[in-house]
Order: sequence, then C-alpha cells, then structure tokens
Amino acid sequence: MVHQSHFTNNMSIYIQSVSQISVQKPLTEEWFDNPILPKEAFAQSIEPDYKQFIPPAESRRMGRLIKRAITTSLSALKKGGCEMPDAIISGTGLGCIENTEKFLNAVIDNDEECLPPTAFMQSTHNTISSQIAIRLHCHGYNSTYSNQGTSFDSALLDAFIQLQLGQIRSALVGGHDEMTPDYFNMLSKINYWRKEDVNVDMMRQCDKEINSFSGSCSLSMLVGTDHTENTLCRLADIELFHSPMPSQIRDSLFKMLHANKLTLSDVDAVVASYSGNPNVDRYVGHYLTQAMSEFPVIWYKHLFGESFCSSAFGIYVAAMCLHKRLIPKLLLYNPKDAEIKNPKNILVFNYFGWNPSQPNVSLSLLSI
Amino acid sequence: MDQLIEELKKEIIEVLNLEDKKPEDIDENAPLFGGETGLDSIDALELIVMMEKNYGIKLQNAAEGKEIFKSVRTMAEYIKEHRTK
Repeated sequence: MVHQSHFTNNMSIYIQSVSQISVQKPLTEEWFDNPILPKEAFAQSIEPDYKQFIPPAESRRMGRLIKRAITTSLSALKKGGCEMPDAIISGTGLGCIENTEKFLNAVIDNDEECLPPTAFMQSTHNTISSQIAIRLHCHGYNSTYSNQGTSFDSALLDAFIQLQLGQIRSALVGGHDEMTPDYFNMLSKINYWRKEDVNVDMMRQCDKEINSFSGSCSLSMLVGTDHTENTLCRLADIELFHSPMPSQIRDSLFKMLHANKLTLSDVDAVVASYSGNPNVDRYVGHYLTQAMSEFPVIWYKHLFGESFCSSAFGIYVAAMCLHKRLIPKLLLYNPKDAEIKNPKNILVFNYFGWNPSQPNVSLSLLSI
Repeated sequence: MDQLIEELKKEIIEVLNLEDKKPEDIDENAPLFGGETGLDSIDALELIVMMEKNYGIKLQNAAEGKEIFKSVRTMAEYIKEHRTK
C-alpha cells in the first residue's frame, strides 16, 4: 500500500485562473449560471474558434486534443495575467488517443508499411506538454503524468510541491483527454455508459442502473505563489493515495485541517467524483460515509461527464464556488440541500478505480 | 497529366491537412518546399508515404527527393513514369 503525502508549510499556493473546453460552453464560466445538461452518453465537447489562438499554418499538424490543450493554456495564461509560466505539467490518461488510433489503424490497414509520421509523432502522451511549451517558447520544467483517473491530480501535486519548495513561482497544470468513437464503443461493451438518453435525476439514482456519460476534458489551470486580483482561491493542500482505508482518508483530513488551522466545522462541502455508474459510485459513497459524512456533497460529472481527467473539473468547480462565494443548488448532489452562500473551505475527493481493490484516490483542500 | 496534377493537389491538401487551401490555390509549377506553401521535412516524409501507398512508388535514393518534390508538376511527372498502381 502506497501513501504519498505532503502537508503545507508557510508558502501559500493560489489557483490563479482556469480555462476549459468540454461539453459546456468553451473558455467561459457560463456553466455556473447557465449550464448545458448533456442528453447523450457520447457527449460532444463544444469546440471554440481555434484560429483565434493558433494560426492555421501551425495548427494543421495538430490533433484535436493538442489544439484544445494549447487553446485552454493560452486562455488560462491570459485570464491569469501570466505571459510565461515557470513550469508546464500535464495529466492525461490516454494521451492523444485519436492519433494513436490513426497510427495503429494504419499499421493494420497498410500491413505495417506506409505509416504516417505525423500521427505517430503525436500519439505519445507527452506530446501535449511539449506542444504547449513549443507554442509558448517555454524552456522551463516540462512533465506529463499518466495515472489513469488521478493523472491531473498527480500533475497538480507536482506543481504544488515545487511551488512550496520555492523551485518555481508559477505552473500551468493541465488535464487533457479526448473520447473517440472506438474507445467509447469499447467501454460500452463493458456497460460503462448509459445506453439511453442521459438524465441528471437518474444519475443520482446510481445504485440502480448505469447513468454515466463520457465527456472529453481539456482544462488548463494556472497556479502560483502570487495572490493577484484574478486569483480564484487558495490550494491549501493536496494528497494522493493508493488503496487507502477510509480511516487513512479521515486521518489525513484531520492533519490537513490542522495544518491550515481549521476544524471540521470550517468545511462547507466536499466535491465528490460521483459519475452515475453504480459500479464506481458505491465506493465513492463508502469513502464519503466513512470519512466525510458531515459535509454536503457537491458533484460535477453530471455537467462535465466522465473521463480520465475529469477530476480536474472537481478542483475547478470547487475553485469557482469559492470565487463566486456560492455553491448553487445545481451542484449539490442531494436535491434537498439548499444553496450554500459564502463558502470558505471546500474539500475535493476524487476516487478512481475500475479495480475496487486498488483504487487511486486524491484529497484536496481549497480555501478562500 | 492534368488529371494527375489535380488528383495530386487534392491528395497533398488531405495528407498535409492544408485546411485553408483549395486545389486551385496551389500552383503546380511553384516550389513545394521553401515557397508559399511553407512545407518542411516532416511534410516530405508524409509525401513519400503517400506516393508509396497510393502509387506503389518506393523512393530508393533520398537524394532523388529533391528533384521529385520540386513542384506538383515534377511529382506528377515522376509518378506517371514510375507508378506501379
């Protein structure tokens, strides 16, 4: 059993800005007041006008995910008032899977000959961080984490530690994954998605039937040590766990709160990774019941869908609630809960585990 | 020859993903590399793969490429002479 941990010192780390491309209106926070509720299991992301961010001559060789990653990166940097981050750290579960499929299909179709070089070059996971760096001319720390459902969390933890150690002052952290028809169909065969139309109310009844839907994720987040007028909130702590007992999560929660001079009563809510899939959500519920039963639960996958990097939206949703000083009713998992005004501290709990005996889990604390 | 040139222009646009170009935008006599099209060595690799896949031509001598890829017309002339499919 592995347990990675890190607790805060005196250095404050802030989430400066976030930009996303998803099933919600891209590059905006419009989802907070006027969300789109997807109705299909294979929910399509809304593409922005990439030409506003990437000249056509440069974008012609880029796959869809690279375009999204660069666009959200440029947008997040602009929102955060930063021209050049000290580090670029990405999380991705599948990398540029569209190009990987294209290359592998060419291997089969052409009998291992006549293979397209561009698709091969862009099929690697670390293409994303490197393409962002090339676009920005950023020569700083550049890294990629591919740890299934905690890929983004791993990237954020890396940035958090380096910021705390004073090795960098800013980092562009990304969570990027795309869904392709082939991969969607493969997961459909193991009953991972809802077969009929998606309905948010049915997603809550996750103990009865599968109601999850797929959502591609491209989210870029600027984190740094400077508090500016653009700052969304403070990232007080983040920890990753592999196969933890609920009691370990509870212990870490107390240590996390203690390190930040907080108590349980200071926490306004916990963002949980409920997805609408009972095969996964029952374990999320188990951890919440055992370790964090005091808090109202926020969810977000009914708005952004499920992907390897959807945990990035969990952090994003918590940051936006703190920034806007409101947890709207739409984000509350229990329909009987009323909206929460002026939240000050929100936990984010991410559970990922197709194999329930070896899940990856993260716990984060965000504060105003 | 004209038909082959038009076919090649469409294939080049598709293979190199020249989204903002139409066949009529490409001058068959203009330099493919170093000119307005802005193609580079990776594009040359894509064109070599395309010639092998679509026309059954395997370039044995890399130095030949410089002459073959001078323009769309020189490509078409080479393909016409050496194609196996």
